[in-house]
Amino acid sequence: MSVKEKLKQVLIEDLNLEDVEPNEIEDDMALFGDGLGLDSLDAVELVVIVQKHFGVEIKDMEEGRPAFQTISTLAQYIEERMA
Amino acid sequence: MKMAIQGIGLTAGFGSGIEALRSALQSGRAASVTGNGEQSAFRADVSGLAEFIPKRALRRIDHFSKMTLLGACLALKDADLLDADRSRTGVVIASGYGALKTTFNFLDSYLDFGYSCSSPTHFSNSVHNAAAAHVSIQLKTTAPSLTVTQFEMSVPSALLSAQQWLAEGRVDQVLFGAVDESCDVLTYCREQFFGSGEQGPLQPLTFAEQSAVAGEGAVFFVLNRETDTAPYGFIDGVRMGNYLVRPTILPEGDQLIVGADGHKECGRWYQQLLKGRKVAAYSPLYGSFPAAVGFDLAVAAVSQCDGKLYASPAANGSPAALPTQKLGGEQLSCLKLGPGGDYGLIRLST
Repeated sequence: MSVKEKLKQVLIEDLNLEDVEPNEIEDDMALFGDGLGLDSLDAVELVVIVQKHFGVEIKDMEEGRPAFQTISTLAQYIEERMA
Repeated sequence: MKMAIQGIGLTAGFGSGIEALRSALQSGRAASVTGNGEQSAFRADVSGLAEFIPKRALRRIDHFSKMTLLGACLALKDADLLDADRSRTGVVIASGYGALKTTFNFLDSYLDFGYSCSSPTHFSNSVHNAAAAHVSIQLKTTAPSLTVTQFEMSVPSALLSAQQWLAEGRVDQVLFGAVDESCDVLTYCREQFFGSGEQGPLQPLTFAEQSAVAGEGAVFFVLNRETDTAPYGFIDGVRMGNYLVRPTILPEGDQLIVGADGHKECGRWYQQLLKGRKVAAYSPLYGSFPAAVGFDLAVAAVSQCDGKLYASPAANGSPAALPTQKLGGEQLSCLKLGPGGDYGLIRLST
């Protein structure tokens, strides 16, 4: 399973997005606001999710901000640090 | 000061809503018993919440708070107040355990992954007042909200606060709830303590035997100051104390509903205080948990409304059990005893 696919799956499971299917989350859909509709509390959960499922620690939210734009940007951020 | 009961909403193993409670009282057993034994029969189904609150708004709300919200919504619906202004409605919730499952999930995540990977959502839901906060936010009740936890005495203790708020005029109405949940960790712990007794069947009036089975549920009441109309009657008063420190006199002419729930440790106190007096007990319908006193209160209110005291389920011909009977002029009282002589007595009238 690719990082993107796993990300979609854990987002749905850990953020309880019961009304969303993985294939409905587009790679370039905005995670926050109008796209997937996540909010600031989800951002904190996202930091935990990334560390728990991918072993990548986001120590600084400013550093994480560009990564939290879309599934693609977050997957790229994770892949660069997992390598 | 008397409190008028304007509406009741509940969810437990027997189902959701006041008619589910009536059916359970009439049939004498929980409606959702499955092949998995007694314990699965005492789990509350919260799917009915979708009628009141959008699914997306519930995604950060755990099972404990969902039970709470469902009970609150059903009570407002029963009182025909779903669309009413709730700016002067207070929320008082009693719980002996709080959100057990979320608390253990949070602790597990801390133990497994360390503090940096502990879910903030789990943490925020694990605090006892989270459910009251969810009720206030979702139902827009902007008056004070409070959660009271005093184990077996949580319900009478919280009722005293609700009564005080109404007497002081701090609120015009109180959404009063009693909530507890069960979970696998609790079941495991109880099996370690109580052994095979935890498998049921629950026999509350067999005071000398351990037969408690963990249950869960939420029950809510819409309470206001005494008015001319109260569909379920009135709560006349609430008394608490410790009868070893100061002996209490039970109301002689009242029909007593006792909160005995198969715990041998508490059973012996009932035996001692009741001295052979016939009583009713309904814990086999909803299981054993501290906030079940709220369900006893709901049974008493429904009995007043129906003019009939229902037979105690699973009494098996116990000489301690009151038979089914029409209620005349006598009052109903709910008696809960905790370990060590603590008691709470809630007296109702029509």
